[in-house]
Amino acid sequence: MARVQSPARSRPSTYPGWFFLPAAIIYGVLFLLPTFASLYFSLTRWTLFNSTFIGLDNFAQFFREPFLIKGLINTVIYAVVSSGLKVVLGLLLAVLLTSQIAARGYLRSVVFFPVLVSTVGVGITFTVLMHPTQGMINEGLAMLGIKGPGWLVDPNLALISVALVDVWKGVGLATVIYIAGIVAIPQDYYEAARIDGSTPWQSFIYVTLPLCRPATVTVITLSFIGGLRTFDLIWAMTRGGPGFASDTIASVIYKQYQAGFYGLSTAGNVVLFVLIGVLVVPLTMLLNRKEGHE
Amino acid sequence: MAGLELKALHKTYGQVPVIKGVDLSVSHGEFVVFVGPSGCGKSTLLRMIAGLEDITSGELWIGDRLCNAVEPRDRGIAMVFQSYALYPHMTVYDNVGFGLKLARTDKAERDRKIRDAARILQMEHLLDRKPSQLSGGQRQRVAIGRAIVRQPEVFLFDEPLSNLDAALRVDMRMELAKLHQDLGSTMIYVTHDQVEAMTLADKIVVLNGGVVQQVGAPIDLYQRPANLFVAGFIGSPKMNFAEVSVQSINGGMVTVASKDISAVTVAADTKSLKVGDRLTLGVRPHHLSMDASGTLVGGVSLVERLGNETNVSLRLPSGATWLVVLDGDHNLRPAQALQLAIDAEKVVLFDAAGQSLLAAM
Repeated sequence: MARVQSPARSRPSTYPGWFFLPAAIIYGVLFLLPTFASLYFSLTRWTLFNSTFIGLDNFAQFFREPFLIKGLINTVIYAVVSSGLKVVLGLLLAVLLTSQIAARGYLRSVVFFPVLVSTVGVGITFTVLMHPTQGMINEGLAMLGIKGPGWLVDPNLALISVALVDVWKGVGLATVIYIAGIVAIPQDYYEAARIDGSTPWQSFIYVTLPLCRPATVTVITLSFIGGLRTFDLIWAMTRGGPGFASDTIASVIYKQYQAGFYGLSTAGNVVLFVLIGVLVVPLTMLLNRKEGHE
Repeated sequence: MAGLELKALHKTYGQVPVIKGVDLSVSHGEFVVFVGPSGCGKSTLLRMIAGLEDITSGELWIGDRLCNAVEPRDRGIAMVFQSYALYPHMTVYDNVGFGLKLARTDKAERDRKIRDAARILQMEHLLDRKPSQLSGGQRQRVAIGRAIVRQPEVFLFDEPLSNLDAALRVDMRMELAKLHQDLGSTMIYVTHDQVEAMTLADKIVVLNGGVVQQVGAPIDLYQRPANLFVAGFIGSPKMNFAEVSVQSINGGMVTVASKDISAVTVAADTKSLKVGDRLTLGVRPHHLSMDASGTLVGGVSLVERLGNETNVSLRLPSGATWLVVLDGDHNLRPAQALQLAIDAEKVVLFDAAGQSLLAAM
C-alpha cells in the first residue's frame, strides 16, 4: 500500500517561523532566564552582590526549618479547602446564574467583582471585618445571639478563615469558567432528558455535571495551583500567625528572604515548584484520563 | 392506542405569531409528515406536541387525554432529535437505557428492553461504544433505539436524517418505513425534504408561515395541490407556472392561452370563471413531451443528460424559463428550438388568489 503522507505534516506553516520570535524573547527573558537563574542561586550563598556555590546546603537547611512541616501541611490544607469550595460554590453559582432568574447579568457582575479587587485590599478589609470583638462579622453574629469565634486569632481557625476569604475572592473566576462550560452544553441534551422523564435534579446529575467536566478540570487545576502558591492573602491577614499557625511554604520562604537568606529562600522556591509539580501533574493526569469523549 | 387531535393550536413568541391555528387529526398508527420551508413552524409544532414548547392557545389531545399542561415524560411520546442528542459521556447501552433508568425500571427488565431494541435496530455490537466512536448512521440508530425502548404511543422525529449523507439517508429512510410497519405506532416526522415526505408519509401536512396549506396523502398532494404554494413545494423538479388568460369556457372545460402557450383546454371548476380572467397554469416538468404539433415553443438553454431521462431548461418567448423532463436520452443542443405538447389532463389551474381550480372528482 502506498504511504499517504498526512497533509498536516507536508503543509507549510501559515506564518513564517520568525513570527514567534517576539513571544519567544519575552518568554525567555522574563520566564526561562529567572527560572534557571533561581535554580542556580538555590545552590549558592547569595547576598545579592555576590554568590558562593555551596551545593545542596540550602536545601538541607530548608528542610531542617522547624516549622517547615507545619507549613507544608498548612499549604496542602489551604489548597484543598480553597479549591474544593471554589469548585462546589462556583458550580452552584454558575447553575444559578445560567438559569432564568431576574437580574442575571447584574448578579453575574456581583459574583465576579471580588476577582477584580486587590488581594491585599481584600485581606486588610477582612482582617477588620473578622476582628474578634469589634469586627462586623462577629457583631452581626452577636445580634443573632451567637458568640463568634476568633477568626484570625484562634490558631485552629486562622488558616481556614484566610482560605474562606480566598474562596470569597476567587469564586467569581470559577463561576465564570463554569458558566462558559454550562452554556456550551447543547440544549438538546436537556430536552432529550426531559422527554426521557428526567427531573431538574437528575438533569443536573446526568447532563450538567458530566458535560461540564472540562470546566471542572480547569477550575480544580487553577485553584489548586493558586492555593499551593498562596502568599499575599496570608501575609496581609495573619503574617503566618498566630505564632506559626497559618504559615504556608510561601510565607516561610518570604520570612527567610526578609531575614536576608536569599539563597535559602530561593531553594525554598525550588522546593515549592517541585511540590506543585508533584501534586498537580498526577492530579491533572487523573482528571483528564476519563475525558475520552468528544 | 393513541391518535392525536390538534384543535386550533396557536403559538406566539412575544407578539410574533408562529403557529396560527392548526387543526389536525392523526389516527393511531399513522405516519404523518410535517413538511414546509425553513421557518414555516413545523419544528415548533412538533415541539409543542412533545411538550418542549408551551401552547399559547388551542387544545392538544393525545389519545383521550388533554395534554396542554402535561409534562413531556407523561405524554407517552418519544422524540428523535436532529442532532441525535446522544449523551457523549455514556455508552450506547446507557444512552438507550437512560429513560428506563430514570423510570427506575428493574435492572433485568431494562437489560432485556435495551437488548431487544438493539436487536431490532441491528446494533447489538455497538452497545459498549461511546457516541464519538459511531458513524452518523449508527448514531441515528442509537437515537431511534432510545426512543423505541420507552415503547411510546407516539414517535416524534425532528429532521432525523438531515445530518446524513445522501446515500445513507436513502437507507435510513427505508429502515424507518420498515420500523413503522413493524411497530405500528403513530409517527410524526418533520422534514424540509419533500422526497422524504413523499416516500414515508401516510399523510403529509404542508405548512407555510404557521398555517396548514394542505393535508392529504402524498399522491393527492402531488396530483391535486390545493394552492400555488403546495403545487410549487411538492414535486421535484418544481412545477412550472405561467400566467394565462381565459379564452373560452365550455361546460367544465376552460381554454386558456398566454404569450408562450397557444391554447390548452383544461377540465376545471369553471363556476366563478369568465372569459378574460387572469389565471396561473401549473405544469409539471414530467407532463411535457416533444410533439411537432405541441402548443409550447421554446429554445433550449441547458441540457442535463441522465441516461434514463433528459432535463432541459427551456427559454420561452416571454423570457420565462421552464424545466422539462423528457423520457429517455435526447441529444439536444443549446439554442435549439423545441416544440412541446402539454398533457392537459394533468395540468392545474389556479385563480388570482392562488387557490386551485381543480374540478371536483
